[in-house]
Amino acid sequence: MPIEPISDLTLDQLDRDGAIREALDGVSSRAGFLGKAFVGSAALLGALAAPRRAGAASPSDNAILNFALTLEYLQAAFYTETQRLGAIGAELARVPRQLGGVERAHVAALQDVLGRAAVKRPRFDFKGTTEDQVEFLRTAVAFEDLGAAAYKGQATRVDSPALLAAAVAIHSVEARHAAWMRYLAGFTPAGRAFDEGKPEFEVRRIVASTRFIVARPRTTRRRRPRFTG
Amino acid sequence: MIVASGAVGDSGSPQAPGALEAPALPPSPDPALTVPTPTPIRRGATSTWAPVRRTVLARARPEPDADAIARLETRTPEGTSNIVIVFGRRRDAAGRLWVQVRLPVLPNDRTAWVPRRALGGYEVVRTRLVVDLGALTATLLRDRRPVFRADIGVGQAAWPTPTGEFYIRNRLTNYDSAFYGPLAFGTSARSAVLTDWPDGGFVGIHGTNQPGLLPGRVSHGCIRMRNEDILELGRLMPIGTPVTVR
Repeated sequence: MPIEPISDLTLDQLDRDGAIREALDGVSSRAGFLGKAFVGSAALLGALAAPRRAGAASPSDNAILNFALTLEYLQAAFYTETQRLGAIGAELARVPRQLGGVERAHVAALQDVLGRAAVKRPRFDFKGTTEDQVEFLRTAVAFEDLGAAAYKGQATRVDSPALLAAAVAIHSVEARHAAWMRYLAGFTPAGRAFDEGKPEFEVRRIVASTRFIVARPRTTRRRRPRFTG
Repeated sequence: MIVASGAVGDSGSPQAPGALEAPALPPSPDPALTVPTPTPIRRGATSTWAPVRRTVLARARPEPDADAIARLETRTPEGTSNIVIVFGRRRDAAGRLWVQVRLPVLPNDRTAWVPRRALGGYEVVRTRLVVDLGALTATLLRDRRPVFRADIGVGQAAWPTPTGEFYIRNRLTNYDSAFYGPLAFGTSARSAVLTDWPDGGFVGIHGTNQPGLLPGRVSHGCIRMRNEDILELGRLMPIGTPVTVR
């Protein structure tokens, strides 16, 4: 299926099945938008990004690392699931294979430096975007653009120069991924002379709006069985 | 290309042609973390499952007007999330994505199609439980290799344990029943005989207060094993594990 070239990605383009728009209906204020429509996803993301224990880095740096780790979990899970399902065209098969490997490496590195302070991997529901070539590419562009903007948005807040060096090293990889995905999706890979970062709250809002982070299904109960015996 | 011929550095000494005009800067610190070499995902026998997110009719074909096979609820009779194993996917004429799933209904061993949006996020398992009604054993495979085996009790002739392909859909613990032992797994298999059994006559895999009867054909269709075995299986077998009964 051909990809229509479009200039920039919007929430509407990601929201093909209307689930996000449905959540926005009847919500007028920004406070309401964040307070009602996405309270579930936002709360999940917020809880995930809260450091459990300060490690070797400063508390602020640990929080930034866990924020980055949550985004890396998201990207790694997206590409890994796409590769496992094998539902996108053969011509794109190397994309989730290659990017998935890199994002899983980022996850491993962040988990290693955070140690026991690392947040747990969330549960994801990619809502069919890992099973369709067009949706996969659009979502990949959104994730990689967002990842690059998120790292950049935190750069001036990092206390440790060594940590900043690591973050910048990952940031440029995310930017390369973004350009590659943009090229494949028919977007302009490098159309701007100046890229701004995104603040944490904006990144959280965008991630929450996708509803890709979901609660764990309840599969265990304390209850007497009534099986046939 | 950045070239400054005959430039003077911050030391004041003349530099060779081709050197940068900018003053020398201190080296950057070493990064605080090391990113390992990317590795491929592990290959092996995997299965994918998903929770039912909204009540939906499972249909014979991936089309909205195809015959309805069963109604899938979001909850099991035990109050856990209802889950299904996912096999394949297809788009209908309108572009809607459908997925093929295994059903927890009678007759056993049926598959059908549901809209993708009726399901939640996918989970992957690498395990499979093989129940051998002839040998009276249960064997758990991980990546096709046996990691657990136990003698079992299965259904008597009047209440046979159903054969076919099923899956583990929940896990019940901390209840007060010596009969079921310390742990019980719920499966998607249903007794074809005990159709009026409370909660639908689902077949469980559980412990027992009569280990001396094992191995044997002693149950109403459930798969019983010694309590130490069911606890060990509980450590090894995740929800969503496919179950082959043969």
